[in-house]
Amino acid sequence: MTFIALIPLFPLIGFLINGLGYGKISKTAVPWIGTGASLLSFVCVLLAYLNFKETAIIVNLFDWISIAGLNVGFSFQLDQLSIIMLFVITGVGTLIHLYSAGYMSHDEGYGKFFAYLNLFLFSMILLVLGGNYLMMFIGWEGVGLCSYLLIGFWNKNTDYANAARKAFIMNRIGDVGFLIGIFLILQNFGTLEYLEVFEKAKAFHVGDGIIVAITMALFVGAMGKSAQIPLFTWLPDAMAGPTPVSALIHAATMVTSGIYMIVRSNVLYTLSPFTLEFIAWIGLATALLGATIGLFQNDIKKVLAYSTVSQLGYMFLGLGVMAYSSGLFHVITHAFFKALLFLGAGSVIHAMSDDQDIRNMGGLWSKIKITAITFLVGTIAISGIPPFSGFFSKDEILAHVFEHNKIMWALGMLGSFMTAFYMFRLFFVTFKGSFRGTEEQKHHLHESPKSMTTPLIVLAVLSAIGGFIGFPEVFHLPHRLNEFLSPIFENSRLVNSSFGVVHISHNLELILMGASVLVAVISILFAYMVFGNGKNVPVADSEVVGLKKLVYNKYYIDELYNKVFVGPISAISFFFANVIDKKLIDKIVNSVGEGVNFSSKKIKELQVGVTGSYILFMTLGILLLVLYQFGPSLLSTFNLLQNK
Amino acid sequence: MYPIIVFSVSGLLMLFLGLSVNKKSLLPYNLLFMLVGLASNFLDWNAPGLYFNGMLEISNPIILVQWVLIFAAILVSGISSRQFDDTHAYPAEYYAIMQFALVGALIMVSFQNLLMLFVGLEILSVGLYVLTGSDKRNLRGNEAAIKYFLMGSFATGIFLFGVAMFYGATGSFDISSGNSVANNLLEGKMFFWLGMVFIFIGLLFKISAAPFHFWTADVYQGAPTVFSAFMATIVKTAVIFALFRLAAYSFNLEYENWSKFLVIIIGLSMVIGNVTAVFQTNFKRVLAFSSISQAGFMLLSLIGLGAQSYGNLGFYSLSYALATISAFGVFLVISSNTIVEGRPSENINVFDGLFSRNPDLAIILLISMLSLAGIPLTSGFWSKFFVLNDAAAKGYFWILILGVLMSAVSLYYYFNPIRASFKKTDLGKIEISSLSKYTLYVCAALTILFGIAPNILRSLF
Amino acid sequence: MHFLEIIKNLSLVQWAFYFLSILTLYGALGTILSKNPIHSVIYLVVTFFSISGIYIMLNAQFLAAVNVIVYAGAIMVLFLFVLMFLNLKEESTEMKTSPMLIAAVSTGLLLGLILIATIRKAEITRVNYNDFDPNTGLIETLGMVLYKNYMLPFELVSVLFLVAMSGAILLGKREKGESHF
Repeated sequence: MTFIALIPLFPLIGFLINGLGYGKISKTAVPWIGTGASLLSFVCVLLAYLNFKETAIIVNLFDWISIAGLNVGFSFQLDQLSIIMLFVITGVGTLIHLYSAGYMSHDEGYGKFFAYLNLFLFSMILLVLGGNYLMMFIGWEGVGLCSYLLIGFWNKNTDYANAARKAFIMNRIGDVGFLIGIFLILQNFGTLEYLEVFEKAKAFHVGDGIIVAITMALFVGAMGKSAQIPLFTWLPDAMAGPTPVSALIHAATMVTSGIYMIVRSNVLYTLSPFTLEFIAWIGLATALLGATIGLFQNDIKKVLAYSTVSQLGYMFLGLGVMAYSSGLFHVITHAFFKALLFLGAGSVIHAMSDDQDIRNMGGLWSKIKITAITFLVGTIAISGIPPFSGFFSKDEILAHVFEHNKIMWALGMLGSFMTAFYMFRLFFVTFKGSFRGTEEQKHHLHESPKSMTTPLIVLAVLSAIGGFIGFPEVFHLPHRLNEFLSPIFENSRLVNSSFGVVHISHNLELILMGASVLVAVISILFAYMVFGNGKNVPVADSEVVGLKKLVYNKYYIDELYNKVFVGPISAISFFFANVIDKKLIDKIVNSVGEGVNFSSKKIKELQVGVTGSYILFMTLGILLLVLYQFGPSLLSTFNLLQNK
Repeated sequence: MYPIIVFSVSGLLMLFLGLSVNKKSLLPYNLLFMLVGLASNFLDWNAPGLYFNGMLEISNPIILVQWVLIFAAILVSGISSRQFDDTHAYPAEYYAIMQFALVGALIMVSFQNLLMLFVGLEILSVGLYVLTGSDKRNLRGNEAAIKYFLMGSFATGIFLFGVAMFYGATGSFDISSGNSVANNLLEGKMFFWLGMVFIFIGLLFKISAAPFHFWTADVYQGAPTVFSAFMATIVKTAVIFALFRLAAYSFNLEYENWSKFLVIIIGLSMVIGNVTAVFQTNFKRVLAFSSISQAGFMLLSLIGLGAQSYGNLGFYSLSYALATISAFGVFLVISSNTIVEGRPSENINVFDGLFSRNPDLAIILLISMLSLAGIPLTSGFWSKFFVLNDAAAKGYFWILILGVLMSAVSLYYYFNPIRASFKKTDLGKIEISSLSKYTLYVCAALTILFGIAPNILRSLF
Repeated sequence: MHFLEIIKNLSLVQWAFYFLSILTLYGALGTILSKNPIHSVIYLVVTFFSISGIYIMLNAQFLAAVNVIVYAGAIMVLFLFVLMFLNLKEESTEMKTSPMLIAAVSTGLLLGLILIATIRKAEITRVNYNDFDPNTGLIETLGMVLYKNYMLPFELVSVLFLVAMSGAILLGKREKGESHF
């Protein structure tokens, strides 16, 4: 029991030590504190897991708020779902902390960085360990804030700061949905505690309007946090942050919290097939969009970022067809291989003296062997080649999708073809061929230190074998993940009889599997034919033309958003601030400046004039209010007078 | 009721002390008087009822709000340390007027009779007209004072007009008499309704809700910063509670009637306040527009008007006061260290490099901005959560969506000072007097405390 | 014809009321329309006197007396003094038909119209002459109400005056040193 409260405590302590002692703690102690906090937290998760028996444990630390109609406890809920998420967060988190110890060692904000990372870990743990929706929301906002701080970590130039702010504000737009969902739950269920809400939800019918509203509102929150259409554009921009941040926050953990939230609320979603269908299509569209944009990107981190957007789409696709545990399975394997790929990319960037453009790379295979090999493992894993982990989870999702809707399945296969292609394109262009960078960079090329390669190796091993926690049924090997998670979906089974029923025969399953492997292999061969010899390098930005240019520029979605949303809002704001507010003020400022002695007749007029116009506006306000309030009844008086 | 007496007397004493005591020891006296006032409120605890022929109501929730007011005044006095040291300042008069104004504010949260409300409102307003123009060499301040006075009088006139109609309709100034006309037919109520709308408008002006907000930015900018902080917190709290009392006791049966125009005012305040703040470069103007939008949020609890709304509003007031006073406090210290063209700079770029110049202040600023923006684990989150929940309980979902969206917009300008404070700079360290330092620490610590464990404060109400 | 009938049938009290009302309005309009500030003040005195007349008709003799003494007497004299001290030579405000003015006048008129329409619609309970207490507006009754029922606000008004007074002194003190913006 006590281990549960300790899980978030260690990162918090780590944050406080590194944060309050910023500048005072020696540079050697900083990574030890940061990584140690994360590791201790991992150990606690392990201990909690070992002591865990079947039923969920609720630990109520104190009453957060207890007034009539609103009772929320500061409570933790440890169950199968939170254990899995905690393992991913603290496990991958610890590895990334370790990696950062090497990667960030030259940075002057070393202590600050670790403090932020620990704070992030704390928020993320609150998010998945919280026992009610409000706790989840606190963590939800907390990770958003940390993401803001870490993206803008190098606030040397305004682009980075703008990327950070964009991420935060887009997340906030999503949070509008989440908050509204919370208020709806509170109004309709009278509580926010998971267990009570799900218990009460059982009384609702499938397709109930309120449930649809709640689930849609919550999903809007997930769209923001997990970068789904239309709120995905912040994620690629978020790559402005240090690479370990991209690996931890924008690949492995934070962006998957939307999936966690839906799996957590699976009863509600099962009750609302409409929302599920919506989620599936949004997920599919995002998967395809991300993959197509990923095809032509030349920034190593941007490729990975779009790949993350696309993979998140797959996870939502899985959730949308009620394959909750498959979606979660993909969260786990994705955390392994995407963290690996990002860290590998970081190692490459490190070797390339902070250059991220793959057109300047090439032939790095022999120069940085460990990085290259682990990167290859990650690339194979994401492409879906058995027995690497990505194959199992993606195949499971696609099998469920096939059962649900054949068109979706076909589109999903198309996406996975593109995935394998752009990943291997990235791999070949980066590691094959001959070096295309400057002499200086070539001279500087080196393998990263141990603290960076160790996490790479560990993650490579996990990416390779991580899929074995869930074998497909056809192999007659245990699907440990499903067995473990089964109690979480108890309520879903109760409310919707169609949940979890599989109709696919074993033969068909084998065929599907074969098909997806075939697609991946063809795609890899295709990528090899184009980029394998290392001579075919993507062209410079200006030479990109036609349809390719559209994709290369990310379908101009950012520009579209700027035109449609940002533009008008800033125009209105500008109007308010500079025309209504400032013009009037400037008039006085200038006129008072002209004659300070107050004798000028003009000033007097102006002063009175401005006050007069203010009063005029207020009177107009009063007029409109009174009209609004009494207009209808006044109209009848008027009629009465006329009739006389 | 005791603090009213205490501050009436101590204000006079303060004026006399100004003659005999040196300037620097006036602040301790002021704090002493305020603490006495705070303590004297204990005498009323658990003695609910009407006093002075039904002029004042005393009850524990009212006393709590009075504490909030006095506590905010103490914090404002705390950040005023060293601000009135130069020869052109008259701290004795300033503090005396602050105490008198506090008398007005205390009356406004406990009145039972509209006459009392009027007297309280006028004491508070007249005091502030004077304080706004108290820096006589500042032409912008003079300007602001005149403007505030003219427009304030206009609003008072409207308010009085409303009170007269209220009296005409009910034959009494007692706030509970509003219910006596509840059963009248439409024709009989017309007078009452008009009075109600005018009373609302008069008071909405004072909390600077849109579209009656025009004076706010000019006055906040022109007034000496300490008094802007006073205006933003104490005046706002007093008036919103006066409105709440009226809504809950006089006009509660007319809820359907006034709520439909109040939501429009709330929506306007949120939109105009937040949207206009985005491009402001003067920090005091930013806070002025932020206060307009916060007024919109506070008014949501009037829309809620349930058993919990009073407590929600109390929580909101205190957490808003803490955040706003610490924002003004940090700004005050920095701006008086950054003299541009002979006077303290008010541009938002005074925060540049604050983190390296004084990390404590930067952290306090961060906490205060996060709280104003309503980010979790600060008290500002809970206050917004409570009032939005109030609105949701009444089914006003569109205003809820607007509110949450606008708080997303507000991030844009609340983050500007934070971003600036993490910039690199080679400017020197900033020194700060220990009193204002501890005041700011208290504000920040309470903001976090109430953010982590809101129940401590919330369960009191 | 209908209109003339009404005028013919007016009682003496009604005549007095309409006379005073028209005088009040005339004075008020004169105050805001006259170009010479001293004329404005005189017009204002007219307004106050006629309002006092209305007070007397409402049986509020004390209020009428106070109104004359305080407003028409003290405050107006103060205004006149201030105006003469300032010695305004030129006409300070010229009436211009600016869009502002048109907007202001029309808004004001519209608001007035709406208020009149609303009040017309309102049902006003009339005072019954028979059981009306003739002492209502007299100083004795007023004193009892002020010092018994409204004792607290009466006392607190002194705080208001104190604020106003100390504020006036504070603002009135001459300030040395440079002005800044």
